[in-house]
Amino acid sequence: MHDRRADATASPIARLIEAFHRLPGIGPKSAQRLAYHVLRAPEEEARTLAAALIEVKERVRLCERCFNVSHQSPCSICLDPSRDRTVICVVEEPLDVLAIERTRGYGGLFHVLHGVISPADGVGPEDVKIAELLARLRDVDTEVHEVIVATNPNLEGEATAMYLARLLQPLGVRVTRLARGLPAGADLEYADDLTLGRAIEFRQEVR
Amino acid sequence: MPARVPRVIKTEALVLRHRRLGDADRIVTFLTPGRGKRDAVAKGVLRPRSKLAGHLEPATRVEVVLAHGRTLDIVTQAQTLDAFGGLHEDLDRLSTAMYLAEMADRFTIEQEDTGDLYALLHAALLRITRGDGLHLVTRSFELALLDAAGFRPEWRHCIGCGAAVSAEAIAWSALGGGLVCPACRPAHPDAAALDAATLKVLRAIQDGPYEQAARIRLTPPLAAALERVMHRLVESVAERELTGQRFITEARRAGMAATAAAERDAGAAR
Ligand SMILES: [Zn+2]
Repeated sequence: MHDRRADATASPIARLIEAFHRLPGIGPKSAQRLAYHVLRAPEEEARTLAAALIEVKERVRLCERCFNVSHQSPCSICLDPSRDRTVICVVEEPLDVLAIERTRGYGGLFHVLHGVISPADGVGPEDVKIAELLARLRDVDTEVHEVIVATNPNLEGEATAMYLARLLQPLGVRVTRLARGLPAGADLEYADDLTLGRAIEFRQEVR
Repeated sequence: MPARVPRVIKTEALVLRHRRLGDADRIVTFLTPGRGKRDAVAKGVLRPRSKLAGHLEPATRVEVVLAHGRTLDIVTQAQTLDAFGGLHEDLDRLSTAMYLAEMADRFTIEQEDTGDLYALLHAALLRITRGDGLHLVTRSFELALLDAAGFRPEWRHCIGCGAAVSAEAIAWSALGGGLVCPACRPAHPDAAALDAATLKVLRAIQDGPYEQAARIRLTPPLAAALERVMHRLVESVAERELTGQRFITEARRAGMAATAAAERDAGAAR
């Protein structure tokens, strides 16, 4: 067996398999299936895929207001006149914007931090887009009354949320945090103490 | 053939950190009482229905079962023993706990003997949780950790000549790791003055026991002076500033600004 690693001398098909294999969540079997699918597909399909790959690297940038990834700046969400400009939802990553948009339950603006405070990983408050959020809220034209902190419900997400709450308090904006509780389909027996404790603390009326 | 490694170990551990691996897995770094610091993969832990999820958060004490894997150990079971709920009530407590975990991680090498670091960190997290003064808990942990890591600072004698240092002209060097007498001071360009009150508390904390040092009343200027000394010391041993130190400072500053704003608002309302 020769080295499967993609180098210039490897066959084109081996290089394609290796390139797919590097993608998150793609094992060696899936990488092979994808590569042979491309091989059998019409040339047009391969060209469309290749062009989309190049375009995403060349044209996608960060929105100057919310720092979400977009092909334009300001992004379509920031420019959308139908969105509620009094609320900003703060998330860790662009994928979190997609997740919240999928719920169709939120119509306000976003702010993407591009990370979360995590001293163990060398990430401090100035390494994420917190100063940029403050600048948005200090802007004379701001209409924001509420900031919803939607960082992940783990230690780093919690520390970041508490830090934001402290920073934003002098600005007079309401700071809220996503409700925490048991995930759908969870089993009480396996729930950790912190989650179960909060689920009890933030219990709701049965209607 | 390498020495035989047990296929499965069951141990209690403190979670120091976690980092993402692929779509749904995490590498978790554990500090154990008898087996040092160990990394292990928690498979599928980011999926909402994972039985491991929530039991592998940093700054919790857990019981884990680790199976020996080809490259990395695998977490097969995890159960929270203590989530240190009191840590999460306040950002200053939380940022302090994060800093202690960062230090414990930074000053240890995987699978090497970590002495009684587990007991030190566990005690410090319990003290934060029950509401002890954060300055004292942190200084006490820093001094004990430096000691355990072989960088015990010298607060009695001159690091140059070994002479006892008089109370009138006290100076210390972060790079040298302790006091310097006036004669040796020129050999330590980074040496800085140290006041007698600060030195007295440094000695009391280093000599212990903690309960006795905990009786010292730390005024804000004294606490700030102690923090400056220990930050410089930790920084010079780690050869860089620890992010947790910065976060503690920023969080505290934001807290003071928030308090000031609240007082201003209350004053305006009167
Ligand atoms: Zn935008």
